[in-house]
Amino acid sequence: MKCEMCHKAEAETAIRKGVEADAQELYVCQACARKAARRDAAAGTQAPVPQSGSDGMPPAPLMGMILDAAFEIVGRAISLSEPSCPVCGILRDEYRKRSRLGCPACYAAFAKELDTAVFELHRATQHVGKTPEKAKAAWQRQQLENALNDAVQGQRYEEAIALRDQLKKLAEQEGRQGEAV
Amino acid sequence: MMLSLDPGVHSKKTRAGIPADDIAMRCRVRLARNLADERFPDWATEHDRERVFGKVREALHAEAPGFRVESVAAFEEQDRDVLFESHLISKDLLERAAGGGVAYAPDSSICVMINEEDHLRIQGFSAGLDMLGAWQAADALDTRLERHLDYAWTPKLGYLTACPSNVGTGLRASGMLHLLGLRLVGEIESVVRGLERMRLLVRGIGGEGSEAAGQIYQISNMDSLGSDEAAIVRRVTRICAEVVQQEYNARARLIQESPMVLLDCLARSLSVLQNARLLATVEALEFLSAMRLGASLRLFTRLKVADVDKLILLMQPGHLQKGMGTALTSDERDERRSEFLRRKMASVRLKC
Ligand SMILES: [Zn+2]
Ligand SMILES: [Zn+2]
Repeated sequence: MKCEMCHKAEAETAIRKGVEADAQELYVCQACARKAARRDAAAGTQAPVPQSGSDGMPPAPLMGMILDAAFEIVGRAISLSEPSCPVCGILRDEYRKRSRLGCPACYAAFAKELDTAVFELHRATQHVGKTPEKAKAAWQRQQLENALNDAVQGQRYEEAIALRDQLKKLAEQEGRQGEAV
Repeated sequence: MMLSLDPGVHSKKTRAGIPADDIAMRCRVRLARNLADERFPDWATEHDRERVFGKVREALHAEAPGFRVESVAAFEEQDRDVLFESHLISKDLLERAAGGGVAYAPDSSICVMINEEDHLRIQGFSAGLDMLGAWQAADALDTRLERHLDYAWTPKLGYLTACPSNVGTGLRASGMLHLLGLRLVGEIESVVRGLERMRLLVRGIGGEGSEAAGQIYQISNMDSLGSDEAAIVRRVTRICAEVVQQEYNARARLIQESPMVLLDCLARSLSVLQNARLLATVEALEFLSAMRLGASLRLFTRLKVADVDKLILLMQPGHLQKGMGTALTSDERDERRSEFLRRKMASVRLKC
């Protein structure tokens, strides 16, 4: 599908135009999404800010302040041209305004800022508690795949073979677990 | 008029006689969960949200076949209000577009919101301060659903959520407490401040700003990362139990030290409810809150706490209209609400 704003590039993301009731969803390319976000910010008419969560979290402005403070600290180290999550495409500015991330991958994409924000919010940095086995295996697989890619690109073939064997083993384990369920 | 109860006898009687549930009304534990390869609902397209709804519905059908799974868009307006007023779902969910859904157990002890702020919000409910029970129910369902869903989770941040304030366990445990006694002795502000210093969130139910309408407060954990689920649940339970004790002490002190303040509050509230011709929801809640305190202290004839709790639910817009079987304007509702409460309060008398 083509971008609904420039009608040239391929649409990759959805933005909302207008307010609340008559908000309209447009499918646009990254460049147009960025343009729209900048225009909205300038006009002060960006998408409605989500209100405080259903269960009593600080209202969005307060959350915004916490996030802002986090950015203040690490923001300078990050160039403004480093813009978006590679998976969902949202810009740092966008999620700051709405205090909501775009997708789970945003946590990796904006890790530097979020680490600070997470600590501000929870006074902790490390999860303790429930570990979903399937998700944990998926995470391990992802780590191994990333390392394997690195090793191949760096032409470290011995390392790559070892990683490939680990991946195989992981897949076998999952297969067995899958049968057991 | 003399207050005819012996404070000593009364407080002993109430210590044994008032179940803690008079103050701790109910509790809830929710788990925020998201699917690994989907955008969070606020950034998702309608199409994305509907796909997520489909995945979650399938998982629920497989693991919780007794649950009703419904799309919010399919609800009549009154039904939405009824679910919201029953605290099963949030206003947030109702305001969201396509793909918003709700699944609940036949006894309403568990409710899953789909595509609210997160893809899933699994909520367990229980009476009083049984947060452990509410958590265990939600946790068990979560474990079963995970067989069918690929959750977003990392070893460092735990469950990944749309807002960083919920990462880690994704767990929020909250107790709903009726704290009118603390208000009447002028201590509610300091209690709330103390709770906030302990990193608990305090929010009024149905009120605007920090003042809770009817002095019904929801107290919950601020931090979801860094402690495990059981520890969070136990901590919130323990602190809520301490607040219940403080409220209990405040009530005992009211009876002993300023019974007229208490009786005046109860008498005024009863006469408004028996005579008013127009009552808005928040207003009615204030007076019913006083009735609830009086009922808990057994100062009214023919009125129990459970009766008042029922009225608090039934007088709200959705329930009221459902009861009348028709949609009403806001002015009509205020009139019908006052009629309804006048009828229910007609035979209630203050004992002293
Ligand atoms: Zn474009
Ligand atoms: Zn993202």
